[in-house]
Amino acid sequence: MWPASSAEPAPNPAADLADELGDGAGAALTASGRRGPSLTTSRAAMRPLSRSPAVHVMGLVKRFGDTSAVRGLDMTVERGEVFGFLGPNGAGKTTVVKMLLGLVRPSAGEGLVLGAPLGDRETRRSIGYLPELFRFQALLSGREVLRLHCRLLGWPKKAWPDQIDGALATVGLLGRGDDRVGTYSKGMQQRLGLGVALLGDPALVVLDEPTSALDPVGRHDVREIVRSLRLRGATVFLNTHLLEEAEQVCDRVAVIDKGRTIATGTLHELLGRQSRLRVKVTGLPDRWWETQSETRARDRRGDWLVLEGVEPAEVPDLVARLVAAGGRVEAVVPEHQSLEARFLELLEEGG
Amino acid sequence: MSATLTIAGLTVREAVRRRLLAAFLAITVTVVGVSAWGFERLSHAHSITSGEGRFAVAEALVLFMFMFSFVVALSAAAIAAPSISSEIESGVLMTVVARPVERVHVLLGKLLGLASLLAGYAGAVCVLEFVVVDVVSGFMPPDPVLVAVYLFVEGLLLLTLALSLSTRLSVIAAGVVSVAIFGAGWLGGVVGSLGRAFNIAALREIGTIGRFLLPTDGLWRGAIYYLEPPSITSAHSVGAPGDPFLALSAPSWTYLLWVACWFAVVLAIGAVSFQRREL
Repeated sequence: MWPASSAEPAPNPAADLADELGDGAGAALTASGRRGPSLTTSRAAMRPLSRSPAVHVMGLVKRFGDTSAVRGLDMTVERGEVFGFLGPNGAGKTTVVKMLLGLVRPSAGEGLVLGAPLGDRETRRSIGYLPELFRFQALLSGREVLRLHCRLLGWPKKAWPDQIDGALATVGLLGRGDDRVGTYSKGMQQRLGLGVALLGDPALVVLDEPTSALDPVGRHDVREIVRSLRLRGATVFLNTHLLEEAEQVCDRVAVIDKGRTIATGTLHELLGRQSRLRVKVTGLPDRWWETQSETRARDRRGDWLVLEGVEPAEVPDLVARLVAAGGRVEAVVPEHQSLEARFLELLEEGG
Repeated sequence: MSATLTIAGLTVREAVRRRLLAAFLAITVTVVGVSAWGFERLSHAHSITSGEGRFAVAEALVLFMFMFSFVVALSAAAIAAPSISSEIESGVLMTVVARPVERVHVLLGKLLGLASLLAGYAGAVCVLEFVVVDVVSGFMPPDPVLVAVYLFVEGLLLLTLALSLSTRLSVIAAGVVSVAIFGAGWLGGVVGSLGRAFNIAALREIGTIGRFLLPTDGLWRGAIYYLEPPSITSAHSVGAPGDPFLALSAPSWTYLLWVACWFAVVLAIGAVSFQRREL
C-alpha cells in the first residue's frame, strides 16, 4: 500500500475514508494496519467491506515535478456497475488507473479499492487489469503467460487448466494458445491481455483502452465480454476515449479533464437533461406558440418545432395541447444529444 | 518466496529461449579448444625444462582465466542491465507487479534466475578449461572449485550492481555505468599493485579504496591465488611485485565479510529503488 499523506499524528487515511463510508470498514482497516494485511487478516478484514464501493477516491492528486496530472479527483464506483472513465488524451485517466492499482503513488488524497487502501497487495488478487501499454513475454506462448499469472496469483495447479482454457476461449485465442506471443498480432496480444485480466473471475476488472488495437469484430467481442462481466456481478472500470464504446456498455460515466472530474452520472443523467424533441405540426394558429407559457421552444423551422429539455413524461400532454389548439401532429421525434456532443460541451464548459 | 521462484524460473526460461546459454557455451568451447592447442605446445616446448613448462602453463592459465573473468563480468552486466528497465519501458512488468506480489520478490527472482545462469556459465568454463589443460599439460590448479566460486562471486557482484541500477536507469545507462565501474575497479587494483611494487603509499591507498568500493578486483585476486601453484607464490614470496596477474595471499575473512555486506547493501538499495519506482 502506498501512504497517501504524511500528516501527524500518524493518520490512517484509508481507515478515515472507510469510516466515512459508514460500513464498519474503518475498524477492519485499522486492524489490518498501514503496511498491508496478511492473507488471513486481509480476507477477514475484507468480509465486512463487501458493501463498500468498488472504488472510492477523494481529493486524489498526482504531481510529476511541476506538472499536476491529477488535481483533486473525487470518484465513486459502485459494485457491479460498468463505469466509464472518459476524458481527452492527457486528462490523467491512465495515471488515475495506475494509482488505483498501486503502480503510482498519489501525491495527496486517499482512496479505497474493494474496501482496501490503494495498492493493497492482497486486494490485487481480486483485480484484473489490462494496461494501456499491453506487452507480454514474447518468448512464452499465450498459455504459458496465463500459467505465469496463475502462479503469481498463488492458485493450486489443478485449477490452472480450466482457468486458462476458459480465458483463452473467452478472448477467442483457444486455437493459438500454444503459439509464442511474439508471433501474435497487436490485436491478439490485446486479446491475451484481456484474458489475463479475466483470470479467476476478479471482482473488479480495470480495462485501460481495451479496444485500442482491435478490429470491429474484436471491439464487439469486448463489449460482449463487458456485458457478461456485468451479468456475473463484477465491477468494470473502463478507461476509454472511445465514447461510442462507453455509450454502449456503461451504466455510469465520469468525464475528467485536466485531472479533475467535470461530470459524473448515468448516461441518462448526463444526456437526458439535454434531450431535445422535434415535433412536426401543421395547422397551428400563427404566433400560437408565443402565447403559451411554454418557453422551451428553441426554434421553429417551417412545420418543425424544436423543444429543449422535454422529459418523456411531458410528451403526451404536449401533443394534447397542440391538437387542442387545432394543430395536426405529424411526427414527434425525440433527439438525445450524443455523448460526443455532450463530452465536447463539457470540455468547453470546463475551460 | 513462491513469487521469487516463479520469476527466477521465468528468467531462466527466457534466457534459454533466447539461446543465450547456447551462444556463450559455443564460444567458450571454441576458445577452450584453441587454448588446448596452445597449452599442449607450451608444455612440450623443447627449449624449456619441464619445471619451466609447468610454470609457463600456470601463468598462461591465469591469463586465460582473466579473459574468462572479463567475459563473466561483462556478461553479468549485459544480462542484468535490461532485466528491469527494459521491462518497465516495454510494459511487460505492468501486469506482473499488478498481481499480489511484492516488488522485492520480483527483483530477487530476477537476481536468482540470472545468478543461476551465471553460476552455470562460470562452472562450465572452469570445468572445461581445467580439464582440457590437465589433459594436455598435466597441470591442475591447486583449488579449481574455489577458482570457480571466486569467478562466480565476482560476476554476481556486477550482476547485482547492474540489476539495482536497472531499477532506475535505462538499459544502456545501467550497462555502461556497471562496466565503467568494473573497469575502474580493475584499474584501481593494478594501480595498487604498482604502489606496492614501487612502495608509493598514495597508489597503494588508491588500490585499497578501489577494492573496497567495488570488490570485483579483490575477488579476481582470490581466483588468481587459487589458480597459482605453490612454486609461483614461493618464488615471489619476498618483495611485492607489481604484477596484476599475481596474488601472494588469499582474500582475508574480513574482506569476504565486506564483500557480503557490499552485496547486501547494493541489493537493498535496488529493492528500495524498485519499490519506490513509479510505473
